[in-house]
Amino acid sequence: MTHENTQITSPPSPSEILLHLGPQHPLQPGPFLLDLKIDGETIREAELKIGYIHKGMEKVFEDRTYIQIMPLTDRICYLASNANNDVYCRAVEELLGIEPTPRAKYLRVIANELNRIQSHLLGIGEYTTDVGFLTMFIYMVRERESIVSLLEAITGSRLNHNYARFGGVANDLPPNYKSMALKTLGEIGKLVKSHDEMMSSDSIYLKRTKGVGVLTDKVASELGVAGPPLRATGVEYDLRRIEPYLVYDDLDFKVITQQDGDVFSRVKVRLLEIQESIYIIEQCLDQIPSGPYKQHVTPYITRPKVGEVYTRIEDPRGELGMYLVSDGSNKPYRFRIRGPAFATAQALPPLLIGTYMADVAAIAASMDSCTSEVDR
Amino acid sequence: MVIYDDIMYWLVLIFAESHPYSDWIRGILGGLVIGAVFGGALVMVYLERKFLGDIQSRIGPNRVGGRYGVLQLIADAIKLFTKEDIIPANADKWLFIGAPIVALTSGFLMVAVLPFDYLLINGSYYAVNVTRMDISILYLEAVSGLAVFAIFMAGWGSGSKYSMLGGFRNIAKMIGYEIPLGVSIISVAIMAQSLDIVEIVEAQDFLWNIMIHPLAFIVFGICLVADVGRIPFDQTESEEEIIAGWATEYSGMRWGLAFFAEYLHAVVGSFMVALIFLGGWNGLPIVGNLYIPGIFWLIIKTIMVIMFFIWTRGALPRYRIDQVVDLGWKCLLPLSLLCLVWSTIIGLVFG
Amino acid sequence: MATDKTIMVELTDAFSDAISDVDVPSANRAEARIDSSKVTEIMQFLRDKGFDHLSCISGVDYPPDKMEVVYHVTSYSAPLVITLKATLPRDDPNIDSLCDIYWNANWYERETWEMFGIVFNDCPYLKVLILPEEMDGEWPMRRDYAGYPNAT
Repeated sequence: MTHENTQITSPPSPSEILLHLGPQHPLQPGPFLLDLKIDGETIREAELKIGYIHKGMEKVFEDRTYIQIMPLTDRICYLASNANNDVYCRAVEELLGIEPTPRAKYLRVIANELNRIQSHLLGIGEYTTDVGFLTMFIYMVRERESIVSLLEAITGSRLNHNYARFGGVANDLPPNYKSMALKTLGEIGKLVKSHDEMMSSDSIYLKRTKGVGVLTDKVASELGVAGPPLRATGVEYDLRRIEPYLVYDDLDFKVITQQDGDVFSRVKVRLLEIQESIYIIEQCLDQIPSGPYKQHVTPYITRPKVGEVYTRIEDPRGELGMYLVSDGSNKPYRFRIRGPAFATAQALPPLLIGTYMADVAAIAASMDSCTSEVDR
Repeated sequence: MVIYDDIMYWLVLIFAESHPYSDWIRGILGGLVIGAVFGGALVMVYLERKFLGDIQSRIGPNRVGGRYGVLQLIADAIKLFTKEDIIPANADKWLFIGAPIVALTSGFLMVAVLPFDYLLINGSYYAVNVTRMDISILYLEAVSGLAVFAIFMAGWGSGSKYSMLGGFRNIAKMIGYEIPLGVSIISVAIMAQSLDIVEIVEAQDFLWNIMIHPLAFIVFGICLVADVGRIPFDQTESEEEIIAGWATEYSGMRWGLAFFAEYLHAVVGSFMVALIFLGGWNGLPIVGNLYIPGIFWLIIKTIMVIMFFIWTRGALPRYRIDQVVDLGWKCLLPLSLLCLVWSTIIGLVFG
Repeated sequence: MATDKTIMVELTDAFSDAISDVDVPSANRAEARIDSSKVTEIMQFLRDKGFDHLSCISGVDYPPDKMEVVYHVTSYSAPLVITLKATLPRDDPNIDSLCDIYWNANWYERETWEMFGIVFNDCPYLKVLILPEEMDGEWPMRRDYAGYPNAT
């Protein structure tokens, strides 16, 4: 893989058009500019330009105390806010040298997996609109609604959860949560299965997705992507299994993989991961120990000792890492976010070359990029 | 139904060639029919919103005009009329302005030959239509082809790359689909041994063409969906790929007209399916009209076809443009030629 | 393919003059300080040993005199994350690019360059990625950055 295929190297010839897809375009989850040099409908060169919603979060966090940062991490990617909370919280816990309580670990896993389900549902929904399947989008959003309600019951908010705390979580489970959650999750599992069947039996859908935007396992790992796009190529890379955090060690789950690495498999991985996440949550609700859900004493001002830490988590979109450098004060000295969407966005232009205009929508959406997180 | 027959009786008297005001009356009738088809398109938009809402487990319009939202379209039209009319700086102004007009005109011209009923008065048959033409099928095809020009005018005249891509796509698609569309109609005309749509309907008084010639119906149906650009074939305005395609630069009522022309085409296309394949005003096969006036049969059948259009939109994803062109040339064209063979056989055996 | 902690021993053996402060704080983390002139050789060595995933490149600013580039290298089949730090002088920070070894280093390097002013030699297309073009040369993530008044 060379670097030339991420750039538009020459001006368009008379038979070609330079098409600026963005910064505002119906295909996009957020603003970015995808410059395409097209010949008829075929894409010759592609270049991705980002930064339209750069929020300077890494700089902002250097000027906030540790506890002030917690709600801001939600805003890195609003669809994976709990994963962002969690990885930040684990980083600070590691610097402070504390462990969350056993119950809090399970609660965080539950919130994480619910978060993964809702992110995948919306990701698939956006993707299906991009292949012109509007009905499926609305079904997916409908299913997501009940998952978001489950999250709201635990965390108190629907989108930006702000749930993790150093050494614990913000709230315990509400009463009767288990029966409520099991009922909803059972329904969602069935519905998602039927949607999966509906999609995989539609011949137009198969025509649009099979063999489109193929990543082989070799190329995918060379491009540095992780998460569903990588697992769709058959690489079993899931941080929950490779580097188990929280209580994933004690839980039974499969790492979902598909072999083809095309658009269809990427979406299939997400659909199957939803089922797997439901299974994980059901186990958690069974096994969750009683006890305190947060540390008995939480220091009012968090001052970790001098040091640094790099924590990773399996975000719905891939590998989310945070690198935290502490100088002993109550604010982080350096805060680096390694976003999964940043990595997949970087891999997008090489994938597009040689495909058709219509596949841009399908491929870009199947990578499930989150512009908010790409720009941070 | 006495009143209905009376009205028709007078209309038929006026339609007779001998009447001195025949042309005037036909003109007025034409205006009425255009209004009716316009109304039909409005009904289709409303039906689409409600029915699609049902498919997608939504409610659809439910605020303006009571809980069924019947006045939503009026509200939308007021919104469109009051919006600023923007003509882009590098647009070709006359093409840009002309495109929606051509699109609507093509729809209106098609209405001219559509027959709505067929009356037996004093032993002679009269078709209720604006113009009786003995080549009305050819005329319909020719005039519906004008819409392709409208879309290309809009695509080229907008001066936008997205619009141009939409226009290109439309041309590429329609070259492949007008041919099977035409051939499948011709194969039906061979069976009826006439190019007059009235006589084609007349020939279906016992069995509908869909039963005698299902293949032509399938080919015609697919081509028609492609022709009016609805969802498996809406590449010309696929939102996620090329924004709104040829309509990207339009705003306000100009966009409204262009958009409405599509619905008009869909309604007229549904009428064509009902007339050519579903027996038109002939009621049910074998049993006949069951004392219900033909025009109601026609409208019921048309609405069923429209519902089918809406259903495909709710149920199917979109093809890619190369797949569409493949389907047109590699699948529908051979099938339509097969239609021709089939109707020739039918014609030789029973004709 | 040694994708566990023994890699650090191998690394120290192979580049004894370019590696210092080797530390293995936990089972899944290892860190070392490297000589900035040897970064490509070390990374190529790691890549050949199975560390095929460059997780992240970060810059850290330590005014008044030094800057650090921090590499997090890991593998698609093992949990060990190796943190390698290269210290650069703050008045002329430059280091060799990893783009030929890890393809995805490109954007991380571009981001670090535009935020800190750390030049990655031979990085293809070293131009602003996230910042607007008029902020080229501002290096906003440096600790002493005074803001960008009245220019945005």
